[in-house]
Amino acid sequence: MADNGLNCSIKASYEDFKLNVSFMIKTGELACIIGPSGCGKSTTLQLIAGLIQPEEGSIQLNGSDITFKAVHERQIAMVFQDYALFPHMNVAQNIAYPMKLRKINKAKRKESINRLLSLVSLEGYQKRKPQELSGGERQRVALARALASQPQLLLLDEPLSALDAKLRKHLREEIRRIHEETGITTVYVTHDQEEALSIADRIIVMHEGNVEQIGTGEEIYNKPNSLFVASFMGEGNTLPYSIIPRTLVSQVGSSSFIFKPLDGRHTIFFRPEDVTLQDDAKLPLPEFLPHLQFKHVEVEKIEFQGNHYRLTCSWEGQSIIANATRKPKTKIVTLGIRIQDFREYLDGKLVEKHALSTS
Amino acid sequence: MNIHESGTSKGFYKAMPIPGAAVLIVLFLVPLFFTLSTAFLTEEGFSVSRILETFTSSYTIRILLFTLFQAALSTLASLMVALPGAYLLANYSFKGKRLIKALSTVPFVIPSILVVLGFVIFFGNNGFLNQFLMKIFNLSTPPIQILYTFKAIILAHTFFNFPIIMNLVSSYWEHMDLHCEMAAWTLGAKKSKTFRTITLPRLLPSIISSASLVFLFCYNSFAIILVLGGGPQYTTMEVEIYRLARMSMDTGGAAALSLLSIIITSLLLIWYNKSQKVLARTESYTLSSKRLEKRPTSTLGRLLALLYTLSSLLFILGPIISIVLRSFMASSTRSATEIFSLKWYRQLFALERGTGHMGSALEALNNSISIAALVAILTIPVALALATAIRKKGFASSTLELFGMLPMTVSSVIIGLGYFIISNRIRGGVGVGYTLVVLAHMVIAIPFALRTILPEYRKIPVSYMQSSLTLGASPMRTFFLIEVPLLKGALLTGGIFAFALSMGEINATLTLSNSAIVTLPIVMYRLIGSYNFQGACALGTILILVSTIVFVVSELAKGDSNGR
Repeated sequence: MADNGLNCSIKASYEDFKLNVSFMIKTGELACIIGPSGCGKSTTLQLIAGLIQPEEGSIQLNGSDITFKAVHERQIAMVFQDYALFPHMNVAQNIAYPMKLRKINKAKRKESINRLLSLVSLEGYQKRKPQELSGGERQRVALARALASQPQLLLLDEPLSALDAKLRKHLREEIRRIHEETGITTVYVTHDQEEALSIADRIIVMHEGNVEQIGTGEEIYNKPNSLFVASFMGEGNTLPYSIIPRTLVSQVGSSSFIFKPLDGRHTIFFRPEDVTLQDDAKLPLPEFLPHLQFKHVEVEKIEFQGNHYRLTCSWEGQSIIANATRKPKTKIVTLGIRIQDFREYLDGKLVEKHALSTS
Repeated sequence: MNIHESGTSKGFYKAMPIPGAAVLIVLFLVPLFFTLSTAFLTEEGFSVSRILETFTSSYTIRILLFTLFQAALSTLASLMVALPGAYLLANYSFKGKRLIKALSTVPFVIPSILVVLGFVIFFGNNGFLNQFLMKIFNLSTPPIQILYTFKAIILAHTFFNFPIIMNLVSSYWEHMDLHCEMAAWTLGAKKSKTFRTITLPRLLPSIISSASLVFLFCYNSFAIILVLGGGPQYTTMEVEIYRLARMSMDTGGAAALSLLSIIITSLLLIWYNKSQKVLARTESYTLSSKRLEKRPTSTLGRLLALLYTLSSLLFILGPIISIVLRSFMASSTRSATEIFSLKWYRQLFALERGTGHMGSALEALNNSISIAALVAILTIPVALALATAIRKKGFASSTLELFGMLPMTVSSVIIGLGYFIISNRIRGGVGVGYTLVVLAHMVIAIPFALRTILPEYRKIPVSYMQSSLTLGASPMRTFFLIEVPLLKGALLTGGIFAFALSMGEINATLTLSNSAIVTLPIVMYRLIGSYNFQGACALGTILILVSTIVFVVSELAKGDSNGR
């Protein structure tokens, strides 16, 4: 057990689901908890903050056990989804609130308010009332107020969910910048995988009250532990393992591979951007490494998405989605996926590619 | 998902309602217990014989039937006056509409003793209306002779209650969208047919709900029947409980009758709650947008609107203005005509020796102000403490909410009876008497204060409190730094309501107190009894002043919550 950071291992059960989570967050890290709604991510945050109590387990922060500590003694600040700015106080009074509780003198408070407001790029907003601010401005004030309590840990509960897409993108960069400037250990809850991937040092994926996977964005996107994580973090194709013998193309010859379908639902998964495409029937697929080749694929739908085309295709009754930089000229195409670019899953769990090895 | 609250904050919030609940138990349940034990205890010890005797006697049944009959008739009369007004207010815009709307809230804040006085002054044989009619039509006898008759009771109840129905029905009506009516028209229904088959059925829940409320009020009516009924032939349950306890000295009989009354009031409340639930259900699928208002086009329509405005002005404002006018009038001898005089105010403020009951007027004013201030100051913390617990949803809190509203099932006369029985046991001096008055007023005021505070409390998002906790404020500091400042307006409104309720309270005060105890309404009651109406009017003017302040504050509070 590390002495630093957040060490959380808790169990709690509710009417509709059980929560059983265990993870560690290092000092100075920005970790995202991500999952579909109802997976328990906000509950986990409230458990860490002490707003609700676990039935079992412990929460340790920087070496001390805070499991049964009162909320206000934990030194954990939280930014709420609705920002929870106190409507009877102006911006400066809101930010001064935690400092007054710590009996910091007036001059120092004023200095800190100015510093925090410039940190969140809201200089001169001291006298404004929360009701007069836009959503994005409220969010920044809430962040400044949380930072004013000099927390050992900062919790953000879907802080951008109430804002529009453009502002969300800008503010998440701001949050990342502020995190880097302050270095406060931060737990950030979101249901938006793009947000998590762009902002987090590490991501904790939750599903039905359990932690599915913990890792960096690359690890989670490229090597998902389960089909759930794989499809939650982005689009992809799931095909039965049994198609491999028919589609494998290798310079070394397919006979040098051994196929061992496992008992259970044995599948492969790959992302649309890893698919290569050939729309000229006379030419071979431009792929030299061992790969699976799908011939006579029918393109059913083409969606233009700006920097690429998204193709919905059909091959022997299976649906395959693929991203292409050019629009295919014909309706019948050939698709390929490198062996190194797909993962194998047994009953939804990642398995080693033991079944596909050269002998 | 706040299922398990944190250890320490739970401690504070769990402890908060305990004093509130304890105060309410002591103030409400203890006197009720005394009342009920008096009903069951006879010379032979515990027995149901007195209860059975009371419940089955033909006298009781006659009183009960009369009570229900006058309540039903009053409700019907109120409906007949109110529904045309509701139609006008909901569908048309015309001059005086805002005035009528504002005036229609007057009965919510006016004490019943003022209604009684205004009625006598305005409709009495020597009242303004008769004087006016006699002058115009050159009559020698007053044309309207209704005082101290059954008609007077019904008329006073109608005056007191029709604005409640008008207010509730018209606000429901104006938020009802026209789509269904439009659909009916396109399907070929005539306007009158559409009204009968579409509009009226849609309005019905609001009519039933508001009529039930008025029925309940008329059932519990006390001062109006006591004074305007003018005799034992028009006695209702409430008045009879008072008479038995205070005039026939039969507390046992009064207690038994109270039990019957509590049972009936509870049934009425259950019915009312049900009608409210039906209303809430229907309301959820009507659009909340305001319907288009049109000016009355036909001459008849315009005339009708004008007539309604004038008559509501006359009947709501008339009695009130009469009280103020009459308070500035006096005659030197019994037969001389009345002229402008400050005599009654000089007597009220003891600048001149008071005649008869006017002698205790200043003491009564001082007492009433001190009692009301004390009641307001004590009620607010109790109601606030109860509200902290009730705010959260859950079994315990809904039980507590029901408990907080419980004093409503018991009329103020019965609360007064409970305190009267207690005062008989402890036999304290005047100080004890006034303390009991304060306590009885608190029981009456707490549910009202709770109803003012609770909706505002529920509007505060839980995240405000949670946010404050995570920023390092203890639950107690959070309560004083976040919750109390945010509730400031509601607490003030609740306090002013409690003050006004106490200032105008007569039912419980009259039932519980002996002759040594004087409050403003009590002295007014005695002055009316001894036919010193001008003196009563001077006291009444003070009460009107208090009611006006409450009225303005409640209107401001309404505007405030709309703005948010």
